[in-house]
Amino acid sequence: MMFKHIERVKDLMNKETLKISGMTCAACAQRIEKAVGKIDGVASASVNFATEKLSVEFDDQKVSKDRFRETIEKIGYGIQEETVKRNVTIPIGGMTCAACAQRIEKALGKTEGVSRVSVNFATEKATVEYDPQRTKLSALKSTIEKAGYKALEIEKKAAVDEDKIRKQKEIKTLWTKFIVSAVFGIPLLYLAMGSMIWWLPFPIPAFLEPMQYPLTYAIVQILLTLPIVIAGHKFYSVGFKALIQRSPNMDSLIAIGTSAAIVYSLYSVYQISIGNFGAVEGLYFETAGVIITLILLGKSLEAVSKSKTSDAIKKLMGLAPKTAIVIQDGKEIELPIDEVEIGDVIVVKPGEKIPVDGEVLEGNTSIDESMLTGESMPIDKKAGDKVYAASINKNGSIRFKATKVGGDTALAQIIKLVEDAQGSKAPIAQMADIVSGYFVPIVCAIAVIAFIAWMIGGQTLIFSLTIFIAVLVIACPCALGLATPTAIMVGTGKGAEYGILIKGGEALETAHKINTIVFDKTGTITEGKPEVTDIITAEGITEERLLQIAASAEKGSEHPLGEAIVRGAEKANLQMLKPDKFEAIPGHGIEVEINGSHTLIGNRKLMDLRNISMQELEKESDRLAGEGKTPMYIAIDNRLSGIIAVADVVKESSAKAIKKLQSMGIEVAMITGDNRKTAEAIAKQVGITKVLAEVLPQDKSNEVKKLQAEGKKVSMVGDGINDAPALAQADIGIAIGSGTDVAMESADIVLMRSDLMDVPTAIQLSRSTIRNIKQNLFWAFGYNVLGIPIAAGVLYLFGGPLLNPIFAAAAMSMSSVSVLTNALRLKRFKPYHA
Amino acid sequence: MKKKIMLIALAITAIPILAACRQTDIIGNTSIKSFEAVIQAGGGSIAPDDQIGGWALTAPDGTSRFVWSRDFSKTEFDIMVETDVQPFINAGLDKSKLPDGMVSGDKIVVGTDLGSDELKYEGDTTPIASYEKIVELYREYIGYHAALDHYGVDLTGGNMFEWAKDMRKNDKDIVFVLDPEVFLNAGVDPAKVEGWLFAKVSKMDEKGRPVEVDKFLKPFDIK
Repeated sequence: MMFKHIERVKDLMNKETLKISGMTCAACAQRIEKAVGKIDGVASASVNFATEKLSVEFDDQKVSKDRFRETIEKIGYGIQEETVKRNVTIPIGGMTCAACAQRIEKALGKTEGVSRVSVNFATEKATVEYDPQRTKLSALKSTIEKAGYKALEIEKKAAVDEDKIRKQKEIKTLWTKFIVSAVFGIPLLYLAMGSMIWWLPFPIPAFLEPMQYPLTYAIVQILLTLPIVIAGHKFYSVGFKALIQRSPNMDSLIAIGTSAAIVYSLYSVYQISIGNFGAVEGLYFETAGVIITLILLGKSLEAVSKSKTSDAIKKLMGLAPKTAIVIQDGKEIELPIDEVEIGDVIVVKPGEKIPVDGEVLEGNTSIDESMLTGESMPIDKKAGDKVYAASINKNGSIRFKATKVGGDTALAQIIKLVEDAQGSKAPIAQMADIVSGYFVPIVCAIAVIAFIAWMIGGQTLIFSLTIFIAVLVIACPCALGLATPTAIMVGTGKGAEYGILIKGGEALETAHKINTIVFDKTGTITEGKPEVTDIITAEGITEERLLQIAASAEKGSEHPLGEAIVRGAEKANLQMLKPDKFEAIPGHGIEVEINGSHTLIGNRKLMDLRNISMQELEKESDRLAGEGKTPMYIAIDNRLSGIIAVADVVKESSAKAIKKLQSMGIEVAMITGDNRKTAEAIAKQVGITKVLAEVLPQDKSNEVKKLQAEGKKVSMVGDGINDAPALAQADIGIAIGSGTDVAMESADIVLMRSDLMDVPTAIQLSRSTIRNIKQNLFWAFGYNVLGIPIAAGVLYLFGGPLLNPIFAAAAMSMSSVSVLTNALRLKRFKPYHA
Repeated sequence: MKKKIMLIALAITAIPILAACRQTDIIGNTSIKSFEAVIQAGGGSIAPDDQIGGWALTAPDGTSRFVWSRDFSKTEFDIMVETDVQPFINAGLDKSKLPDGMVSGDKIVVGTDLGSDELKYEGDTTPIASYEKIVELYREYIGYHAALDHYGVDLTGGNMFEWAKDMRKNDKDIVFVLDPEVFLNAGVDPAKVEGWLFAKVSKMDEKGRPVEVDKFLKPFDIK
């Protein structure tokens, strides 16, 4: 069905995604990519700074995962175990003393897969951290029971999202560090600047007067700076390590800049201590302290914003219910979702969510699948129909058999697809990454050149040092590294909300350039199911009778036109007659005996072959063909009795979608294997003027190629197996959700519902995302292009102001925050369909 | 993490301890050494003044003295400068317009009463030991004048006695400083005061702003 396509074809190369820790800027990502890419056996390595993930393709015969860890740790970063560890709190009954708690702790601790256990006698609860792949919750409960105690019902929502906790912890740590540095940074700044700002309301205490107690004043500054440096120690440990390995990053810039200020200040303290009190003017501890404080503030805000960029995924993850009611030994038992296995029979009552994918065994209901497909109308389900995890059972109670659980459910596959897309890089991001890679060494060079130039120009050491620090601090490539991936994360996440699955950053980027869209006809523009549209009768027979005879004759036919006639009769509640004799005439139609009458149903060729006069209905026949409908002629006892026209009807939204695309400046074409007349009739209904008719399936991709050869950026929208080559050939292949798995595997964008309005929505989303990326890059680049010369003292050269390193740090921190805030604006994206 | 918290706590605790620590009072401590150097360079011009109850450092021309107390409980002015009034009279001074008590006989006296502490000495009562008591008890009256690389005793009212931090590098080893305002109000023509230099001196005001003020200066090279 619609989600099967996501299953991956196993390649010769292994593909792994590893979570990286310790990255602070795009240069870090570049560094890891380079280091891992150099390992023998690695085919490709790509690091996404925003998602903090490394995707690596490698030959497992040549290289192991451990080697990646070693390499990454060697260059100063870490790999976070993608553990699927769960924390669960199990209430326990029957404990009478602390020894009971100990006993349970021991018993649970010995269970395979349990990494941590703590039993609290007072609260009568066991908190267990375990690996659900190695043990099940039921096994933990059983261990408690075996130890002689009662494992009570588990508190709902006890299982926690490790990744969420990790991110929250990271945000908390950063805020704590920022608060510590601010608590010390504010008095430090006050102390340093207070004596210069005479209008400040609070005087500096007498014992800290720099002109009276310079050494005390300096030592207090050191003491205030020390906690700030401790809070920002990572800038130094990572930054200097990267510098030693000759691949400096953002931390290196901060580390060099603030260290220069600190070392110079320490030298000044030494000068003071030997009686050179004038050196009190050479204390720059506050510069280092405030820079670290502001950057920690920026990093904290950045972490908060970054966590918001993956809201869409979190929303999808949150859709799945935590438990399922499973029938075991005839009883309904509530089990955690992880314990549901394939083949389990699950009961879902009205209003509840479907816990896993499955097939309905009993009951009728309608199910709201909008959270998965975006389709707002509930879908009727009966025995044999498929149901999907996270969809909502509306009105009937059903029992179904679990067919897919855990990571195999449609929801899990969608999450995987969106996660992969969010982790992928758009070409524009690759360009930003390359720039970031060269950026830091160039900035270091500019800082040194500016320092030397000002010294040669006759400025003081302090002046030149200020310039040096300001250049290093203002030129952080952070914003540059965040500009693209964050927008792609929000963009792809937003797409998923609308039922538009974009398979990667490249697809998202290319989609905005599309200027020609080729639609497949059958099943894409049309419903793909022919229906009876017209019944024309000759004299002496009613429409009902004609349809009844035709449907009775076609009953059991596998021909789509025959099926359409049968459906038409069923819709009209006509009773079927039993044919006495049936014979198929290949390529022409059928011949049957019903109620003693000889009946022919087929195309014009059949009528001509049997010399049936068409004269009476000749005009009507031509009209129907002109409208793109397929006339089926019915002759009873060698006389033409009527025509039943069958046509594939156009989807409700097709014309509107095509009009919208045309208004967006996109040329729209239709491609089909049908005859030109039929094709043009459909095209006319939906407003398409360019029709590529009578195209054989194998030639569809050639037609796309021809359009590309004209310099057009072509998107192909299709659903069938025959569309797959064209979908792959097109710059952007868009498969519609009701289509085949092959089509969806070949596509770059999958529309989870059959509504063609999602095509303009996808293009609009792509355009909005790319616009957002460009805005981000403009700010990130522009900020550096403007900031570096100002920091280097270009304005000062012409009588303008000199940039204080503290303001440089503030500006630098705000640049990342502004880029992230801009990316988050995409969350407000709404398709414009007026 | 624990280590980091300990270090931060240590930093917080260290600040008040540091504030109370005399070892870090680099100006106070080095001023003692340089004042000692001045005393030694002054040789015979340092003498006890038993009438006042202090020590007197007399300028090489004999016109001015800096006097500091041996025991704050027994002296009216614990730190003071005495100088001849005649050059000011010659420059138009109307003595009656000066504040009461500022002229004593043929001397102008400016000074301040630091307190009434009864001073006790661990060793001998020497000029430098008495100066150390000022640093120890009334440190705020000792300052450093960056523009001249001088230490100074603040006699209040804009009057100072200053000496060079390092006499080898300074041609103004000791300087008597008087605030001119009261003299100008009493009719003195500053340009006509013999032996005194009327000049602008840069300093920080009470709010920390850099300002330039007029002063009468009488500098000496005593090396």
